[in-house]
Amino acid sequence: MIWEVFRQDKPGAYHKHCGNVHAPDRELALQFAAVQHGRRMKTHSLWVVPHDEIGEIDADETSFGGTTDKTYRWATSYTDIEPAAPEVAESEAEQADVEKSLEADS
Amino acid sequence: MDLETVKERAGPRQFAPKDDMPEEYRKAATRMIQFHANSEVMGGYLEKPFIRQAPSIDRKLAFSAKVQDEIGHAQLLYRAAESLGIKTRDEMLDELARGDGKFLNCFHYPMESWHEVPMIAFFVDGAAMHRQATLKNTSWTPYAHAMDKVCFEEGFHVKHGESILSELMNGSKATQEKTQAAFETWWPRIIQFFGPTNDKSVHNDFAQEVGLKTKSNDELRDTFLDTYVPKAEKYGLVVPEYPRIEYDEELDTYHVNEDDLNWDEFWTIAKNASDGSHEQINSRAKAQEAVEWVRESMHGWEGASGAETPQAAD
Repeated sequence: MIWEVFRQDKPGAYHKHCGNVHAPDRELALQFAAVQHGRRMKTHSLWVVPHDEIGEIDADETSFGGTTDKTYRWATSYTDIEPAAPEVAESEAEQADVEKSLEADS
Repeated sequence: MDLETVKERAGPRQFAPKDDMPEEYRKAATRMIQFHANSEVMGGYLEKPFIRQAPSIDRKLAFSAKVQDEIGHAQLLYRAAESLGIKTRDEMLDELARGDGKFLNCFHYPMESWHEVPMIAFFVDGAAMHRQATLKNTSWTPYAHAMDKVCFEEGFHVKHGESILSELMNGSKATQEKTQAAFETWWPRIIQFFGPTNDKSVHNDFAQEVGLKTKSNDELRDTFLDTYVPKAEKYGLVVPEYPRIEYDEELDTYHVNEDDLNWDEFWTIAKNASDGSHEQINSRAKAQEAVEWVRESMHGWEGASGAETPQAAD
């Protein structure tokens, strides 16, 4: 049985997919994951999930959006407005990063 | 984990569903996150009619995207609240429909004209974002993760709200006057967004001790005023004489004279007992009832397909 492994590097961070292990049950899956994926990398916590329990849909099967012009829903579009507060500027900067990555891929 | 350990360890994103948290913590966090989730729902419903009333296609598109975001934020937050194991999402939604669920004071007032829209979409959203940015450092990790996504989206809301305000205040004299009138009506409510002063707040101390909150009501209110009073003035809005806002030179911060605010009204609203509360809660309850058939069909579907889902190896 295959178990997908998600590693969290520090408390409060997100668990990110980092690989998988073979194991007959959850207890062993946790042990193998700790050895194979938690040993060298900085690790605070691991999740294991049976591979068959994961659902997947990909870009061939559906349209995920983001392809039509939705500039109206980005803070970056309102160029005549200066961010009112630091937290607004931070949000705008995060959106700008995403926009850049979308442009780089297209 | 006992309460003393919780207070010792309290810090940004320190606790997760795996931790064995004491009931006091789980109840306090549930109350706070449920309030936040309810507020997203009620804010979304208050703004929804203005998708139809938006004055241009650009505003309509942006406003519908924003309302959609708010309802999405509610969903994220109900999940974060559920993760504490005190209440289910259905219980929280039912409490809201029954009038037992609490939510932000500003969403208990009817909103009738487009001139009022930036009072919510700029000032209340700006206030909300000011508070939410500090909640990225809350001790309950699922709540902090919800805040990551909420804050990511919220920058657009605040800038769009400010864009509407800018447009109105650069409009005809009549438009400017109507916007100023709306501002005078909403301004005290906006200040009360941050709740009662620290000494009158019931939950403040505990929430800070266990790291759920990182800033007090007073700190947040003052720093909000520092940013948003100059913003209002920049667009030509005149801040009403009352409540008195004083500038403290020594601390370089604005401060509101609390006694000038109507706290009877605030506490009536906090009990969901104002006329506006009944109106807003009932109209949302009707909307929930109207889509009962959608939930029913989803439940039916879940039940039917659930039997075929392979069991996880425990």
